[in-house]
Amino acid sequence: MSYSACVEASGIRGSSLMATPVNKNDCWRVPEVYKHHEQRKVCISRPKYREGRKDKAVKVYTINLESRYLMVQGVPAIGVMTELIQLCALYGVVEEYRPLDEYPAEEFTEVYLVKFQKLTSARAAKRHMDEKSFYGGVLHVCYVPEYETVEDTRLKLQDRRGYVRRAAQYRAREREQKEAIHEEPTSSSETTTTSDQIINRHNQTSDNSNAGETLNISHYSSFPPLPLPPQEHHFYGHKNQPVMIPTEDKMGTLHNVVPDIKQQQEQSSGSNQTYYNRNQGTEHRPNSNQAPAVRFVPRTTHLQNRKRKMEVTGEHSVTVPGQNEPLIGPKLPEPSKLDMEDESLNTTVGLIRNTMKQVGTVSDLKPVEKKVKPRRRI
Amino acid sequence: MWRRSSAESSDRFEYLQTLVTEFQDTDSEEAKEQVLANLANFAYDPKNMDYLKELQVADLFLDMLTEENENFVEFGVGGLCNLSMDPECRDVILQSDGINLVTNCLSSRREETVLSAVTVLMNLVTPSSRSQITHPSILHCMLRFSLSESPRLRNLAAVFLQDCCSEEQVSRARQQMEVQQTAVGIPLPKD
Repeated sequence: MSYSACVEASGIRGSSLMATPVNKNDCWRVPEVYKHHEQRKVCISRPKYREGRKDKAVKVYTINLESRYLMVQGVPAIGVMTELIQLCALYGVVEEYRPLDEYPAEEFTEVYLVKFQKLTSARAAKRHMDEKSFYGGVLHVCYVPEYETVEDTRLKLQDRRGYVRRAAQYRAREREQKEAIHEEPTSSSETTTTSDQIINRHNQTSDNSNAGETLNISHYSSFPPLPLPPQEHHFYGHKNQPVMIPTEDKMGTLHNVVPDIKQQQEQSSGSNQTYYNRNQGTEHRPNSNQAPAVRFVPRTTHLQNRKRKMEVTGEHSVTVPGQNEPLIGPKLPEPSKLDMEDESLNTTVGLIRNTMKQVGTVSDLKPVEKKVKPRRRI
Repeated sequence: MWRRSSAESSDRFEYLQTLVTEFQDTDSEEAKEQVLANLANFAYDPKNMDYLKELQVADLFLDMLTEENENFVEFGVGGLCNLSMDPECRDVILQSDGINLVTNCLSSRREETVLSAVTVLMNLVTPSSRSQITHPSILHCMLRFSLSESPRLRNLAAVFLQDCCSEEQVSRARQQMEVQQTAVGIPLPKD
């Protein structure tokens, strides 16, 4: 069947090409000229800031005004229906179309009803075709929701509601994503403060002990290693030499002693998994380490020890107990010293020996005096 | 939907704010009508929903429903028709006694106003609001609309009765109507 035959057939039999309408909307009835088909006068009193790209009438568009059904007026009556439908098809699938011969039309023009598959297509077609020239004439395109069936209307409302709801969900999701992005910097700054606290703690412990220990923070790769704190009393022997008993400082106290830094470093670097823990370093010290444990010895004990040393050395000198004068005379053979293999025990032994010597010298003197008295004969 | 830059968003918000300000400040009825229509049309685009919520435009539209100017009422209820598609806006309208204000528009002589009002009522239906919206007086009104000459109004009323009410509610309302009308002495139109 040719297109022209279709037109004739539709003109006679009316709704044969259309889906059978349920209500009274068949085109035997003269279609009413509804107000919303009319073009309203353009608004000319709009302030500049509110002017749109095109001069428009004052009108509110709701879902009730829109429809998949479009009416196209002003089509030149020169047999260009096919071209018109091809133009409409640019904006979406056309389900049905027919001329509206009964509709009042200007001379030499035709009016068509076009049903799109989707409302969005009809919207686009209206926007692009309305007021456009077409084969010498000017088209007037408008929605014709009155041609809808009850089902058409129901679906239209449902689609619209669903679309707006989905848009709201999309915006809500976007908002959530934005909030999540804003939260990430705060969580990283929390870790920053935690690590800062750990480093501060290290600094405090190192200050308290005055130890020149390196803070082993190698696991915090993002933070540069702290500089070594100022080192004091690093005269603690060399690695391979036997380490002496810690000496006192000027105040006589030992708590400022700085054990060998190098050795400490070697220990700690091997045993640390997390942050540097000073206590762990001292506990895990291997036995082969030559650095002695720092032992706190009371000052009074030291004074006594020194005194005893002096006395011990002073015995062997004839004249003055002072250590600086040269030794005169033959050295008496020293009594064999019993080594108790313990310092304190040796000290005690020394004390006893000295006491015994003192006692011994006192008793020698007495008998000598008695022997000096002369005897008389008769 | 395209992503909007924050600059554009703030421009859009500021523009809407300017509209609302002009509406509140101007004495010109014509300017008010234009701005009101603009705002109602902006409410059609979901992208503007958040800004319009912030600017409390739903309350502005609701205030228009009691105006004498019929254009104000038509544009106001048209704006509500667009806004009420959004669930959050719907709740705002419900909280502001929207059902009663919109129901009053059902008696307007302007077809667009009535169509918008019917659509708003359909959008406002929630489990908690359903009983109020399907009140017998409203059902009677919808039944009358379903017999109207206007195809659009007929369709909307039909969708309302089919989707928002149960069959018992509708038949009960229909019976009540018949009783009322025969009592008054006016016969029902017969097809």
